[in-house]
Amino acid sequence: MDTAFILVVVGLSSLAAVLVARARYRRRLRSAVGKTLETIGLAAVFLLLNVGVGFCLTLLARVVVGRFVSLYYSDDVTILAVSVLQALVFQWSREPEASAGP
Amino acid sequence: MSARGALRGIGGATVALFAALAFTPLSNRLHGVLVPPAAPPEPAAAIVVLGARVDDGVLSNSSLRRALEGVVLFRQGLAPLLVMLGTGSRGKPSEADVRVRLAQDLGVPATALLADPRGHTTRDEARVSWEDLAPRGMRRILLVTGSVHMPRAAALFRRAGFEVVEAPVEEISSGVGGPQARLDLARELLRELLARAYYRAAGYL
Repeated sequence: MDTAFILVVVGLSSLAAVLVARARYRRRLRSAVGKTLETIGLAAVFLLLNVGVGFCLTLLARVVVGRFVSLYYSDDVTILAVSVLQALVFQWSREPEASAGP
Repeated sequence: MSARGALRGIGGATVALFAALAFTPLSNRLHGVLVPPAAPPEPAAAIVVLGARVDDGVLSNSSLRRALEGVVLFRQGLAPLLVMLGTGSRGKPSEADVRVRLAQDLGVPATALLADPRGHTTRDEARVSWEDLAPRGMRRILLVTGSVHMPRAAALFRRAGFEVVEAPVEEISSGVGGPQARLDLARELLRELLARAYYRAAGYL
């Protein structure tokens, strides 16, 4: 039931967004989907990178400091949110600056 | 393929995986594959409850469920000793101590309780349990931990020398239906899969 509810809600709002986009920005929709997928791909790469770096730092800290550091620190949901932010900043930094108006 | 194309491919795969995990029974099926069904618990020399987490004296959901399962097994008369594990931060009560107090409040006599806060990892817990129980001649144990964690934990305790009777606790239902609950289940399974891979690579399993 939860699944169907969420799918219906998201389906309806997406349909509305597509209708608006097709009427106003017809040519940009396909490109926007592609850029969104790029950003999600970047977020996945940043997530893997963050988890990998966290894993290595944890093992390094155990050896260097000699104190126990849990590998589960890298399991925090915050890492996912921060990875998305990193991806957004990286993605925008790749975009050309919008030209200034007259 | 260009970097842009590769990122789009990764993004598409990520979206597809997310949709499959959240909106289909994929997580539930994976749970069925990775977590074997449990047999009814049998008598043993001691009940060993593995640690989960404690924050400033407050047991986590998993920790509380495991501790309660240990108390239930003790009250069913399946073992004369209840061992509570779990570390804590400096100056704060350890998870083991908090659980022992809980067990006492639930009617378990202090003489039947043992707290050991030394084990930081599952492997540590197998080692310290062996140090606690082997000198008492207690080798057959009822092992209490989450059902997803149980296969790795049981293997480590067997490797330490114990005869293990598994008493898994359902910390998250394998039959969950909502998208968020399915994602939680998937995360739990992924975390345990990575832990198993690490333990295998390190030669612990």
